[in-house]
Amino acid sequence: MMCETTDSGPEQDIDADSTHAGGKAGGEAEGDAEGEAGGEDADEAELAQFSALLEDSAEDLYEHAPCGYLSTLMDGSIAKINTTLLHWLGYRRTQLVGHKRFADLLTVGGKLYHETHFAPLLAMQGQISGIALELRTADDTRLPVLVTSQVKTGSDGQPLLIRTTVFDARDRRAYENELLRARKEAEKAGAEAEQARAEAERARQAAESEHARLRQVMAILQKSLLPPELPQIPGMQAAAYYHTASADQLGGDFYDLFPLNQSQWGFFLGDVCGKGPQAAAVTSLTRYTLRTAFQHTTDPATALDTLNTALYERYTGTDPRYCTTIAGTITPHGDTLHVTLASGGHPPALLLRADRTTAFLPTPGGLLVGIMPHPHFTTATTTLNPGDTLLLYTDGLTEARTANGPRYSEDHLHAFARTLAPADARQTITALTRLLESFGTGLDDDTALLALSNPTAHTDPEDA
Amino acid sequence: MTTELTLTTRPLPTGILLALAGELDHDSAGQLRTALHTITLQPGDLLTVDLTDLAYCDSTGITALIAARNHTHTHGADITLTAVPTNTLRILRVLGLDQVLPIHPAPEAEPDPST
Repeated sequence: MMCETTDSGPEQDIDADSTHAGGKAGGEAEGDAEGEAGGEDADEAELAQFSALLEDSAEDLYEHAPCGYLSTLMDGSIAKINTTLLHWLGYRRTQLVGHKRFADLLTVGGKLYHETHFAPLLAMQGQISGIALELRTADDTRLPVLVTSQVKTGSDGQPLLIRTTVFDARDRRAYENELLRARKEAEKAGAEAEQARAEAERARQAAESEHARLRQVMAILQKSLLPPELPQIPGMQAAAYYHTASADQLGGDFYDLFPLNQSQWGFFLGDVCGKGPQAAAVTSLTRYTLRTAFQHTTDPATALDTLNTALYERYTGTDPRYCTTIAGTITPHGDTLHVTLASGGHPPALLLRADRTTAFLPTPGGLLVGIMPHPHFTTATTTLNPGDTLLLYTDGLTEARTANGPRYSEDHLHAFARTLAPADARQTITALTRLLESFGTGLDDDTALLALSNPTAHTDPEDA
Repeated sequence: MTTELTLTTRPLPTGILLALAGELDHDSAGQLRTALHTITLQPGDLLTVDLTDLAYCDSTGITALIAARNHTHTHGADITLTAVPTNTLRILRVLGLDQVLPIHPAPEAEPDPST
């Protein structure tokens, strides 16, 4: 290709010259007589200088062309080589001309390719073009090149020599390498992104299963804070309900009902201030302390004293923990149940009587459990006649946000109880559970309910 | 739905007045606990907690009030609650806290006798 350009070089120059002359002719037509005479002299001098430049340029162009030229005999030995190629290769002319063959300039791989493809194709077609090869320079570095060869034949058609042009392909090779590198990098980045995504997915799955495990643990722990189910007690009906405000937050409400001895039962219900694992730990401590305390006393106030001491001593520092608790005993007497209650800062129990009256059972003076070293817990007593129900609740109920704005209150609860009475323990808990559900998201705290009732002699046929 | 808690303090001849406005609950009790550490009390000072604009106080809020009481006591100071809203007063009584947290009827009653 470059050979053709070289051949046609002078022609192009001549064309340019004729254009140039034509341009002058146009100028003549427009110019004056004096200008004409001077113009002709200048033109001739310029033309002479120009053709001298042209004669020079044929040889100079060969030697210093921007590509390498090489002529080899049919056996491959180098007959002629231009300065550009010598410069690229770092050889002197005498080292190559008559001493080396074209194939000697190639790398081992190049030699093989030259022998098996290049030379046979050239012999067959008389020319071969654009072959990428690597030349070995004098200092043994590799020079990537694009090679085009053509067989020159004599007038009898016999091959005389091979003309070869050599293009420096370093830039192109570098560009190709760059493309290749870019593609590899893109592929690598893609693979890495894919790997990162897979790892993220694995991490997400691990986190999810860990979260599920944690929820399970919390559910088990939370369940352990409540009695699995209330015991069946002859001559008494008990029902309870527990609402967890948040599945992720261990609750702080608690209750229990258990035998004290052959004729007495103990019970308690309470609310630990705060939420989360710390509150749950206090809940656990509170429940087991009360259970243990009731093994040594049948006096609820004494049991609360024991609990107060345990909490006050355990949580004295910067993180005080308190709870409100209502604890009591229940003792059957004939067809009645005697109840003794003590409250440590807990909302008063509510009585729903068989005669449709309702009342709070005040336990004045009871202080929040765990705040003072020696509080004074007082007790209150009442009797449950057949059809009477005692309701214990935590402030999740009386502090719930109602749909139309204000919070539910003890007054609301009292009014609700009046519409309910008379009701046994199960009926009371069922009705209150429905009430709690009606609060929806307004019920933002854990809520515990425990109801104990003295069944009517001829069970049930009362209103529901 | 939740109204935030706003705390403002100003000096009184008897000590410091701390006014709480809004809801003192699980979400905002931490604010009160944090604010307590920024209030410097001298022995004998009285921290007057003005609850005129306290819209709501839950058990965690009560716990924060107890923490305030403990904080004043460790500095040899004392605490009093003024203008306690009816509902909060009822809760304080249920919890028996009226025995440990002195309650005064109105904040204005405080500075007048002492000046």
